Amino acid sequence: MKKMSKTISKSTKQKSRLSVLIVDDNEQITKLISSFLDYSNHDCTVVNDGKEGLELIKTNQYDSIVLDLAMPECDGHQIIKTLQKDDPDQLKKITILTASNINDDAVKKFKELGISGCLQKPVDIDQLLSNITKASS
Amino acid sequence: MIRIKQALFLIFGITSFIIFYIGFLNFLTTQDNEMGLIILIFSGIVSSGTFFATFYIANHLTKPIESLAKRMKEFSENNFISKNSLDDKGISELTALHKNFEDMAQKVGNTLEKEKQLNLKLKEMDKRKTEFMSMISHELKTPIMPIMGYIQLLKKQELMGNLNEKQLDALNEISIASEKLQKLIQDVLMAQKIDLGKLSINKEIVDSKDLLEKTFKAFNPICESKNIDLKMSLGQTSSVYSDSDRISQIFSNLISNAMSFVPKQKGIIELGTKDDNEHITFFVRDNGVGIAKEQQKNIFKKFYQVDTSSTRKKEGSGLGLTICEGIVKTLGGKIWLKSSENKGTTFFFNLPKAKIQVDKIHP
Repeated sequence: MKKMSKTISKSTKQKSRLSVLIVDDNEQITKLISSFLDYSNHDCTVVNDGKEGLELIKTNQYDSIVLDLAMPECDGHQIIKTLQKDDPDQLKKITILTASNINDDAVKKFKELGISGCLQKPVDIDQLLSNITKASS
Repeated sequence: MIRIKQALFLIFGITSFIIFYIGFLNFLTTQDNEMGLIILIFSGIVSSGTFFATFYIANHLTKPIESLAKRMKEFSENNFISKNSLDDKGISELTALHKNFEDMAQKVGNTLEKEKQLNLKLKEMDKRKTEFMSMISHELKTPIMPIMGYIQLLKKQELMGNLNEKQLDALNEISIASEKLQKLIQDVLMAQKIDLGKLSINKEIVDSKDLLEKTFKAFNPICESKNIDLKMSLGQTSSVYSDSDRISQIFSNLISNAMSFVPKQKGIIELGTKDDNEHITFFVRDNGVGIAKEQQKNIFKKFYQVDTSSTRKKEGSGLGLTICEGIVKTLGGKIWLKSSENKGTTFFFNLPKAKIQVDKIHP
């Protein structure tokens, strides 16, 4: 049922609001993505700190999560590691968005963990949205 | 090989023996016994004197030479010699030679040492430069994301509201500039990866015909829009075990290069392959301004741009060909060019046909 509604939302690019969490320490980037999601009629929660991000993932149910890797203190790798231990089901909702160079081996490793997608900054925002949608299904 | 000692003893030993023998003969044959005795004693003294002198000279001659040879060896091995251990009592020319060699060795040694230090420093600086460049390009990626993102967002007028023509025009200019900036950052990062030997390669069986046709299709629209005639000449089709994405990157760089050098009217770019037993050679030929002989050897150097002030300013990072060369080398091939001024340039690159590919088709 859920899957079907997602397919519809994909094809019509309308409705079926997603609730999306964006974890990135760069405020400009979170603002960009949240604005775009907002205009595209999705609900968006923004957090600029890894630790808080992890808390939110644990306490709330999001449809899709956009995660930066390089963040001070608690970085994306740590979040992934913790989720892998505590709540591996969350991993498939994650789209990694990073400026770091990730080689093919790393991408493969993330895929094996079940992570939905791995994007490099700067990213085409339409592509990001389609990844976010894909991760929520 | 004969040693100095042996030679000296041979010469002076025979000489002293002859002197003594003549004295002895004289003693036997002469009538004047007294005179014969004097000559005998005299020749005996002379010959034994010669003998001892030879011994002395030999010793003082060979010792410093041997020591000099030893120190030369020491110097050639370590670029450094230990302090003087020779006394001044020997043969003065040899002592001088010794001293001069020592001075020279010390000077050369110092210079070499300095050079070594300088080299280390340069290596360190080069490493830091590489790190700095990769840090900078990484830091540049972050701010360019909101720039490009908001440009894209603004263009979505259904979400952001309508823009008037002037605003759209301005937005387009920003868009073009940011895309160039983005390409530049990508190039720098790519060059860094190649420099650090971190270029990732995903090998698969690549069919030369497929690859060429894909490249042709990808570039035909932009060439058409610029009134450039893009041609394709398929040689014999063969396959290589290589990375098709990387090969496409090479083509993309070479074609972009060619596009900025062909004449505005009747520009022609031709893609093709050639085949020999061990390699498959791809080429990109243009009918552009060509590259002067003296510039050809520099063309693969980083940030080098052919000076075309007389014709047209070329834009770009100056990294395109460096990147091409780096990728080709990583893929085990070679890149080169043929060009004559005003007639055009052809860039060739070849890739080895892998013979062990069979077992890798089905991993």
